[in-house]
Amino acid sequence: MMLSWAKKRWSYFAVAAFIVFLALIPFKWFLGQYTSIMIFIGISTMITVGLCLLMGYTGQVSLGQAAFYGLGAYFSAILSKTYGVNPWLAMLIAAIATGAFAYIIGYPIFRLRGNYLAMATLGIGLIMWVLFNQLRQYTGGPDGISGIPYLSIGGFAFDTPFKRFYLVWFFCLAILFLSQNIVRSRTGRALRAIHGNEAAAESLGINVTQFKVKIFVLSSVYASLAGSLFAHHLRHVSPQPFDFLGSVKLVVMAVIGGLASIWGAIFGAGTTRFLSDEILLGFDQYPQLDIIIYGLILMLVMIFMPEGLFVAIRTGTMWLKVNWRNLPSIMKTKREEFPGRIKNFFERLHLTRLWRKSEP
Amino acid sequence: MSQPILETKNLSKAFGGLIAVDKVDLTIDTGKITAIIGPNGAGKTTLFNLIAGVYQQTAGEILFNGKSLKHSLWYARAIKPGLNKKIFKDKLQRHASAHMRASLGIARTFQHVHLFGNMTVLENIMTGQHTRSKYGFFAAALRLPKSRREEETITLNAMKYLNMVGLGRYAQQNALSLPLGQQKLLAIARALATEPKLILLDEPGAGLNALEKRELSDLMKRIREMGVTVVLVEHDMPLVMGIAEWIIVLDSGQKIAEGTAAQVQKDRKVIAAYLGEEME
Repeated sequence: MMLSWAKKRWSYFAVAAFIVFLALIPFKWFLGQYTSIMIFIGISTMITVGLCLLMGYTGQVSLGQAAFYGLGAYFSAILSKTYGVNPWLAMLIAAIATGAFAYIIGYPIFRLRGNYLAMATLGIGLIMWVLFNQLRQYTGGPDGISGIPYLSIGGFAFDTPFKRFYLVWFFCLAILFLSQNIVRSRTGRALRAIHGNEAAAESLGINVTQFKVKIFVLSSVYASLAGSLFAHHLRHVSPQPFDFLGSVKLVVMAVIGGLASIWGAIFGAGTTRFLSDEILLGFDQYPQLDIIIYGLILMLVMIFMPEGLFVAIRTGTMWLKVNWRNLPSIMKTKREEFPGRIKNFFERLHLTRLWRKSEP
Repeated sequence: MSQPILETKNLSKAFGGLIAVDKVDLTIDTGKITAIIGPNGAGKTTLFNLIAGVYQQTAGEILFNGKSLKHSLWYARAIKPGLNKKIFKDKLQRHASAHMRASLGIARTFQHVHLFGNMTVLENIMTGQHTRSKYGFFAAALRLPKSRREEETITLNAMKYLNMVGLGRYAQQNALSLPLGQQKLLAIARALATEPKLILLDEPGAGLNALEKRELSDLMKRIREMGVTVVLVEHDMPLVMGIAEWIIVLDSGQKIAEGTAAQVQKDRKVIAAYLGEEME
C-alpha cells in the first residue's frame, strides 16, 4: 500500500517472471524430468501456506496438519472411488467436511495455548492416523485405496503429469494470492495482533477465539484441497503420508520457508520435498535417516535463520548489494577473525577445559 | 446535567477469598477527565478490567450510557443457579466480552504498553480501526472493491490519529523501535482509533519524563475536546491534580472519597490512606 510505484512494478514483474518460469517447467526441453516432484511441491505448498497463516501470522501451533491433508485425500478417494461421485464434487464435499470438522474441534482446542495446544493438535493427528488405518471397510486399512479416477473437465481428463502439473499449480497459486491478500487486509492485521498480544487485540474489539478458529478452518481447507489433489494425482491413498512424520515435515517446510512469509512457503516446500524425494531416496539402507535430518534442519534453521530461508536469502542479497565493492576486504577480516570465533564458539560450549587438557 | 456515561452499582470482584473491588458505586460524567487514584493494591486496575470486560464481576452492575453491561447467560447461571432463561433474555445484552465492549465504545490502554511488536506504527493504529470496518475473510481474499474502499478510510483515519499524537513521521517504523514515551502515546492513539466514547488510561504517565508528561496532559485535554470521556488511573499526583476535573479515591477495594482536586486533598480519609495515619 505504501510501496512506491517503481517497487510495486518490480514486484509484479518478479511474480510474472516466476509464473512464466513455472509454466515452462514441465516441457521436456526445459526441466521436464522434475514435473512429478514439482507437482508434490505444489501440493505441499498449499498446506504450508495454511500453516504459515496459522503459525507464522496468528501464532498458533499445529502439529496435526497432516490429519486434514489425509481427511481431504480419503474423503475424495472414498467418495469418488467407492460411491462414484464426480471427483470435483467429491473435492468440494471433502473441503467442506474437513472445514466443518476443524470448526467443531476448533472451539474446544483453542481454549488451550502454547505447548498444550501443540499437544492437542498432535493428538488429533495421531487419532486420525489410527482411524485411517483401522476403518478398514472404508479406507482399506494400511493398503489404502487404489484406482481413484482422474479429475476431468468435460471430456478433458488430467491423465498425464504434464496436465496435472498445471492443475495443481493453478490451485497452489490461487491459494498463494488469496492468502497474500488476506495477510495484507484488516483480517491479516487482526491475526498478527493476536500473535503480538492477545489482551491488546481483545481490547481493540478483535474476537480472538473466533479469529483463531476461522484461520484454523481456513488452513484445514487448504490442507484438504491439497489432499484431494494428491489423491487424484497418485490415484492411490494409504495412511503412510499422513502420519506424525508427515505433520512434522509440514512444520519443517513452514519453518524453512519462514513462518511469517507466504511466498516463502514455496521455498520451504521445495527444499524439503527435494531433499526427501530426490536426495534421501539414495539412502535406502538407513530408513530413519530422514527423521534425523528433519530434526537437524529444524534446529539449525530456528537458531541461525529464525525468519526462514526466504528472508535469509533476501537479507543476504541486500547485504551483498550494499557491500559487494568491499567484499575482498570484508572476506579478509572474516578470515582473520575466524580462529578467534571458533575459539569463542567452543568457549561458549564450555569445552575449553577439554581443549586445554590436551595441550602440554 | 447530562446522563453519566458510566455508572457502577455495588460493583464487587473477588478472587477466591480476596476481595479486590468491594461494593464500589461510581459515576463518571460525560465529557470530563476523571482520575481514579489510590495506594498500591487499592483495586484500581481490577476496576478497569471489570469495566473493560476482561474480568466478570462477582456482584453488582455496570451501566454504560444508562444500559447495563450484562455478563453471559451461562455465567449468570453459574452464580445464580436456576435462573430462568426467559427472564434473563429480555435483559440479556451481548456485551460480556472485552471485544464486544470495545465495539460498544469503551477503549483502554494498558499499564505495560502491549503494542504489537510485529507491526509498524501505522499498522498498530490501523488494527485499532478493526471494529469500525466490516469486511471479512472473503472480501479480503478477493480484494473486492468494498475492501479497498474500507482500507483507504482505515489508512486515512489511522494517519489522522497518528498525527494527533505527533507520531506521523514514524508511521513506517516498527512499533517497538520507538522510545517508551512515544510508545505510550502510540498506545493511546491505538485506543482512540477504536473511536470510543469512553477511554480508560491505565497509568499513562508511568516512566515518562517531565516534558513527556506535559505532552500527555495536553493530549488528554485534546481527547476531551473530541468529546471522549477520559478516565485515568495514575500515581503521579501533580499530573492528576493538574488535569483531572473529578477525582475518585480507592483504598482496599472501597471508594473512600471523591471530589475535585482541592476537596480530595483536604479529605482526612485520603490523607490517612496515603500516609498511613491512625483514624480516631
